[in-house]
Amino acid sequence: MAKKISGYIKLQIPAGKANPSPPVGPALGQKGVNIMEFCKQFNGRTADKEGLIIPVVITVYTDKSFTFITKTPPAAVLLKRAANVQRGSAEPNKTKVAKVTKAQVEEIAKLKMPDLNANDIQHAMSMVAGTARSMGITVED
Amino acid sequence: MKKYTKISITTNPFDPETLSGFLWELSPEGIEENDYSLTLYFKENSIDPLPQVISLLKQKQEEGLFLDFRTESDTFEDKNWNEEWEKSVGVIKVSDKIVICPSFKHYSPSHEEIIITIDPKMSFGTGEHQTTRLVIRLLEKHTPKNGFVLDAGTGTGVLAIASILLGATSAIGFDNDEWCLLNAQENVETNKLTEKIEIRLCEISSIPEDNFDLILANIQKNILLPIAHELKKRLRPSGKLILSGLLTTDFDAIIEKYSSIGFHLIERMDMDEWIALVLKL
Repeated sequence: MAKKISGYIKLQIPAGKANPSPPVGPALGQKGVNIMEFCKQFNGRTADKEGLIIPVVITVYTDKSFTFITKTPPAAVLLKRAANVQRGSAEPNKTKVAKVTKAQVEEIAKLKMPDLNANDIQHAMSMVAGTARSMGITVED
Repeated sequence: MKKYTKISITTNPFDPETLSGFLWELSPEGIEENDYSLTLYFKENSIDPLPQVISLLKQKQEEGLFLDFRTESDTFEDKNWNEEWEKSVGVIKVSDKIVICPSFKHYSPSHEEIIITIDPKMSFGTGEHQTTRLVIRLLEKHTPKNGFVLDAGTGTGVLAIASILLGATSAIGFDNDEWCLLNAQENVETNKLTEKIEIRLCEISSIPEDNFDLILANIQKNILLPIAHELKKRLRPSGKLILSGLLTTDFDAIIEKYSSIGFHLIERMDMDEWIALVLKL
């Protein structure tokens, strides 16, 4: 018989760096989940994605066991990595801080496709390009 | 204990994917996503993060990302968040010989069994995880009688304690986490091993001893790769190194690195997708 779900927890944590402090500790602790067990599993599974932010959805069952799935990093995080910048522009309409190619936008869109509410790759690319614009990152052909 | 500031943000409309991407520019420790809000967690220091959060939100509002927003801020102390889970901790039979039991549970061991008393709190090494069980099983075979043991990333201190109960003379356990220092010291005391095990709050580079007969490192690949030389420097030429915290997919990278500095594999043990390795120089 399938286990009964008591709730979901959604977090974003740097890859390979989950630890029992906030936000992991309070979010999992109040549901009686073994925090250290989650950290060990998350860090093991995301060790190869160092430097990225990983959204994770944790399913907690009534017996306090859990499973989790990781999702793709936010588009803004992927764009900063592609453009090799630490931050977006404070005035994206006036000051451009970096450039990415259309191919890079397509690569990000393909990666993000499972988590985006997009009908097709073109739609996903326009969403990623929109995020780039609002960060002061120019998309070049 | 460390203090944290949490800032909850609601926007109208609410697009957590796009919003969180921008909020990571402020370097929070992490973000919790709820149905209609995002909560950012910051370690408390001299700079209040709220003005920066509001400034960024105003900027995004002007760009049309949302029509309006609201923030709520609160400060709180870090604590043992694992208390609720601890109530459900039971006795764990790691092997035919070793049993891990919390201090608040009663267990009558059979003649052959060794009991390790561990109250886990907020440290790694509860005995529930496959890698702790793997390393303890390997310790049953590889603990040097009367040897000197280093437990890198000691967590609850469970592996250092196990090594002494299995025949080593003395052990040093170290961790870079304050919770582990307190928790491991408590567990060493509970097991009446304060004369044999020393727990330190430090990094591997601050361990001056270089004559360990056995080094244990149940951590993770991304840490075990860069500290390979540091571990080697502290191991006797005849000593053994037990590595874990590793997935089966980490095997090749670990073996490549450790072989390149003179180690060779003498045993591998698997449990589900996790592995533990015994290496010698």
